[in-house]
Amino acid sequence: MTQQKKIKIYSTPSCVYCKMAKEFFNQNNIQFENVDVSANHEAAEEMIKKSGQMGVPVIEIDGQMVIGFDKERIVELLDLKK
Amino acid sequence: MLDLIIVGSSASGASAGIWAARRNLNFKIIALDTEGEVALSGEVSNYPGIIETNGFDLAKKFKEHLDYYKANIQIDSEVKEIKKEGDIFIVSGVQLGKNFEEKSKTVILATGSKPKHLNVPGEKEFYHKGVSYCTVCDGPLFKDKVVATIGGGNSALESALMLSALAKKVYLINKNPKFKGEEMLIEKIKKMPNVEIINGALAQEIKGGNFVEKLIYKDKSGELNELSIDGIFVHIGMLPNGQMAPQNVKKNDLGEIEINTKCETSLSGFFAAGDVANVPYKQIAIATGQGACAALSAISYLNSH
Repeated sequence: MTQQKKIKIYSTPSCVYCKMAKEFFNQNNIQFENVDVSANHEAAEEMIKKSGQMGVPVIEIDGQMVIGFDKERIVELLDLKK
Repeated sequence: MLDLIIVGSSASGASAGIWAARRNLNFKIIALDTEGEVALSGEVSNYPGIIETNGFDLAKKFKEHLDYYKANIQIDSEVKEIKKEGDIFIVSGVQLGKNFEEKSKTVILATGSKPKHLNVPGEKEFYHKGVSYCTVCDGPLFKDKVVATIGGGNSALESALMLSALAKKVYLINKNPKFKGEEMLIEKIKKMPNVEIINGALAQEIKGGNFVEKLIYKDKSGELNELSIDGIFVHIGMLPNGQMAPQNVKKNDLGEIEINTKCETSLSGFFAAGDVANVPYKQIAIATGQGACAALSAISYLNSH
């Protein structure tokens, strides 16, 4: 069985695209770590440093950064079938 | 052959879908998502029947209603072109990198609108580096910082209210002498001690290093002023997403699809509803009504053709 890739989502509670991304992962039984950057200043700085920008969500998949809920890219990186 | 394709699945598209489902039409909704701009609204307190909700939850309700009727919804789909060949509409686009094409007897365009840009120097360069069009999404990242909301309607007022609870200071910058938004929101904002209202101010340039540092604006006397800020939230109105409509569909100067009281456009069998159309007021409650109207008009068309 292929090990699932490590997924971290930098999000804020009110961010709609963040909610959509998390719902997408849940619907596909994909585990992820959620980091609330509104409550965690260090995590916010980490997100900005890794992604070079301040928009959420930022989704890190095994070190690859996806900015925004870019479903096409996420499906590609996770090798998900439609 | 489908009876109807509804392009878009937010307020107007979802409403059209519900009406189409209840009339047992053979139809499909094709949309980027089922959230739309509705979901990006923060507090929504003027949708009849719901005293207070938020855009995301309201969008979910619309989707639940569609799911109840088992509506056929194709998401992650960007419609690029709609053509009419003979009596048939051909709707084509891309879904997650793959091309698609569908045919139907009628189409309802319910694609809404997208945020207008300032079109000032620095705006593109600093997008997501301090410039945002979604306070609900990105506002929390500016906790204890100094920010500016630009705009004068409800969207801008809601943005400034949300930011006032998070940021150290909020400048609310409006190019007009007065706000166009609801009085209740204006009154709430005036009570916020960390909100400074600047009317008659026109944004000129956004400056900074790696991230936004300054906003330059022209005040009502024509003088240039500079604000030191960490973030700028642009809420200056919306542009209709009507670019995929058939070429011979009449649009107004703003790019909105021209419709009559039945949501009919200048092209027979092609209807438009909600913010993509030349409706004078862009509100969720109006969009849902428009969606129902467009569906009923499509049904009437199908019955007579």
